[in-house]
Amino acid sequence: MEGKGVTRRQFIKYAGATAALLGLSQSLVPEIARALEELTSGKPPVLWIQGQNCTGCSVSFLNTNFPNAAELVLDKLSVRYHPTVMAAAGDLAFGVLEETAKELAGKYVLVVEGPVPTAEGGEFCTFGLEKETASFNGYQRRKDKPMTVWMEELVPGAAAIIALGNCASFGGIPAANASVTGTKAVQDIVKEISKDKPVINIGGCPSHPDWFVGTVLDYLINKRVPELDKHNRPKAFFGKLIHENCERRASFDAGLFLEDWNDNNPDMKLCLFKMGCKGPVTYADCPTRRWNSGVNWCVGANAPCHGCAEPTFYKDLSPLYEPLPNVNFLGINTTAETLGWVAAGATAAGIGAHYLYKQLGKKAPEGGEQ
Amino acid sequence: MAQLISIDPVTRIEGHLRIDVEVEDGKVKDAWSSGTMFRGIEMLLKGKHPFDAQQVTERICGVCPLVHGTAASYNLDDALGVELPDNARLIRNLCLGANFIQSHILHFYHLAALDYVDVAAVVNYSGSNAALKAIKGKVAGLVKANDVYPFLPRYESDDYVSDPELATVLVGHYVEALEMRKKAQEMLSIFYGRMPSFVGTVPGGVTVQPTVSNIAAFRARLAELRFWIDNVYVQDILTVAGVPAYQIFFTAGDSGGNYLAYGGFDEDSNGTVKFLPRGYITGNDVAAVKEFDENKITESVKHSWYRDECEGLHPKEGKTEPEVGKEGAYSFLKAPRYDGKAMEVGPMARMLVLAGLELSGKISPDKQKLMPLVKSLGLDAKVMELATEGKFGILPRHAMRALECKLIADQMDVWLDELKPGEPIYDKKDIPGESYGRGLVEGPRGALGHWIHIKGKKIDNYQAIVPTTWNAAPRDKEGNRGPIETALLGLPVPDAENPINVVRCVRSFDPCLACAIHVIHPEHNGVKSFRVV
Ligand code: SF4
Ligand code: SF4
Repeated sequence: MEGKGVTRRQFIKYAGATAALLGLSQSLVPEIARALEELTSGKPPVLWIQGQNCTGCSVSFLNTNFPNAAELVLDKLSVRYHPTVMAAAGDLAFGVLEETAKELAGKYVLVVEGPVPTAEGGEFCTFGLEKETASFNGYQRRKDKPMTVWMEELVPGAAAIIALGNCASFGGIPAANASVTGTKAVQDIVKEISKDKPVINIGGCPSHPDWFVGTVLDYLINKRVPELDKHNRPKAFFGKLIHENCERRASFDAGLFLEDWNDNNPDMKLCLFKMGCKGPVTYADCPTRRWNSGVNWCVGANAPCHGCAEPTFYKDLSPLYEPLPNVNFLGINTTAETLGWVAAGATAAGIGAHYLYKQLGKKAPEGGEQ
Repeated sequence: MAQLISIDPVTRIEGHLRIDVEVEDGKVKDAWSSGTMFRGIEMLLKGKHPFDAQQVTERICGVCPLVHGTAASYNLDDALGVELPDNARLIRNLCLGANFIQSHILHFYHLAALDYVDVAAVVNYSGSNAALKAIKGKVAGLVKANDVYPFLPRYESDDYVSDPELATVLVGHYVEALEMRKKAQEMLSIFYGRMPSFVGTVPGGVTVQPTVSNIAAFRARLAELRFWIDNVYVQDILTVAGVPAYQIFFTAGDSGGNYLAYGGFDEDSNGTVKFLPRGYITGNDVAAVKEFDENKITESVKHSWYRDECEGLHPKEGKTEPEVGKEGAYSFLKAPRYDGKAMEVGPMARMLVLAGLELSGKISPDKQKLMPLVKSLGLDAKVMELATEGKFGILPRHAMRALECKLIADQMDVWLDELKPGEPIYDKKDIPGESYGRGLVEGPRGALGHWIHIKGKKIDNYQAIVPTTWNAAPRDKEGNRGPIETALLGLPVPDAENPINVVRCVRSFDPCLACAIHVIHPEHNGVKSFRVV
């Protein structure tokens, strides 16, 4: 340890931070420290590929704190392929993908950012080159290699597959045009290739770095897939309804809603339901975890939750700035005008927010309700 | 004998880009730039609530969602007739500025630097600086374990910076820069809720009121970043630019001498005065900055996979009808042109427009900011030399990005002072039955335009022309190359296995492909193949 410029004390502190990240008891710190130490010696190889993505999840990953991005990429993992950070380009770069898949079959973690377009033989997303050639401006040049072909090559040898972000997990925004590009979520592609290979979905548009890093550490330390909800999201992060843990819940219950951003009194946080908040139908731990080193989160900035961690984001949650429609609550068809009072009554009657949720709109609850 | 070299994927950029170069006698003779991933953001907006555009277009790009969200907000403001309160304008400037900082730092250290620095040289560090020794320990550990990913493999070249002391300092800054850009993201989060994909701007204004405490939190981080930009980022650029082997890159990689800037960071409520001025330059005539006219923008699709009916249209009535497999086409990018000309956009375009206005006296000496900075860094002789040679290549592109980063970061302190807690942040307006809007802004990568047509209170048409579509464009109807294609011409490629200069040149533009290929159309009949065969 000391040789790498890390003291024992720093290391234990770091193990403590990891425990906190995973929501584990501090009594497990020595064990985590031991597991982390082991990791440093035999770093698991990671292949991180990008499909119809925007790189937002990679950029978000760089915001990770415990461990930070440099520690993860250099000390804890062997990131062999990541198109946004790796030194190599062209043949050299995709050569690494092919070689790792062959040499370390059964050992690597496959991270997929962005979904997979399948229409037109997969040509809506290509990277690297095939063996066959085609003519290009008078030359014979190897053809572009579709992502679908890469998936066929990389999925069977993966020890674990992580679909990072809402697009990879559920299709996200590109899937709203699935009729044209044939966009599929990673888990649907994997099902076609290796039926029983588990896919861990880390939702969010983008994914919170803790959701990803916590899941990876959990997997590496405990050598198992973490407990997942019915959408294959780790329950540790997606098990709670935003609305239940929101700092503005008291305003909601009291029927105090923001209607013009100028009205917002910085000292009195009004509920954003009427501004379109999707917190009542969204499972994620944003209210407690917050974003960017805990600096803020969406509702904290007086903006409605857009439900970006839900499988139904974006298409089925639009319009984003309109209140959830026709809330049918306790058999009474209410509107945002009266909702607060009804909810307050319900809370007093001891009825949980899950019930409220279940009555909202046409959809069954998404995510990790217990 | 000529030879074709294909680089796919071009890594350390955003998105899926392929570059083909024809090399003869160790030099690039011809070049083609192709975007190879296609999503479809604009079309899914059709029929949606106009406000959604702000959130959805942010997802065009995860590296600068700020710019799209901001362009969409100005676009909607225009369509709704919003009178933007000063506080909202200033907070938008501050957050846009913070995104420039995070994006420029990310670009130089994490996307570009590995093209210039020999990471392996770090193991030879023999100095006694404790921090540098720790870096050496880390790299030595990686080398010993024979696991130097993701730094190796890489293209080999004999001109990497391999002085152990210097290489170790730069690799140390690479790691430090990760923390710095994270701080810039935190700064954004203070006003905008989170990054990437922020929530704090809405058509009509912003959602967060300036308070004493959020201003202080923002300023504390800004101060730290300004110190780092001045003492690390700008200095590292100067150091790399001083390496004798890199002197050819001052002129090599010039894009043809045409530069366009829409202007960025509004200084008054109707956006006529901009902190970074608008204008355009042709034929490298820097001192003759011309007046920009939005109506002169058109897009050519002759060599793009779109139907010929889409040829030559202004984005307001732009059509995007794919025809994949079209004869002679080789990219999902259209070819935007200004007055028929290919234009480089981005930091170099903005800085040259600014420099031109200052040099020609159109900006009075007491209001000048770029040339005084250039002088204070001892760069004025170099700039004049380049100006007379008529060429600005790879290194000026990096250098101007750093200078711009400093100018904006310094100005952000001024904008913070102008915020007025308690004053309005939002102008509530109804959505009109029918209306057109447009939002032209500057992003880290260059000129960005969003255009909207609202009909029946819903989005009827939404179009965006993004910076990388300008820079990485394919050939147009006249056969003229796009800026990156032109910049590659003549570059030395002594070793076909290691085309390092090609990627150095491409990366100096900071391309962002997810951004550039965001269009799709539902009329997609009978398209069978994407091959250019
Ligand atoms: S509706 Fe939104 S802002 Fe209001 S309490 Fe629920 S989650 Fe919080
Ligand atoms: S609060 Fe809602 S929109 Fe914001 S990050 Fe969490 S789930 Fe996504």
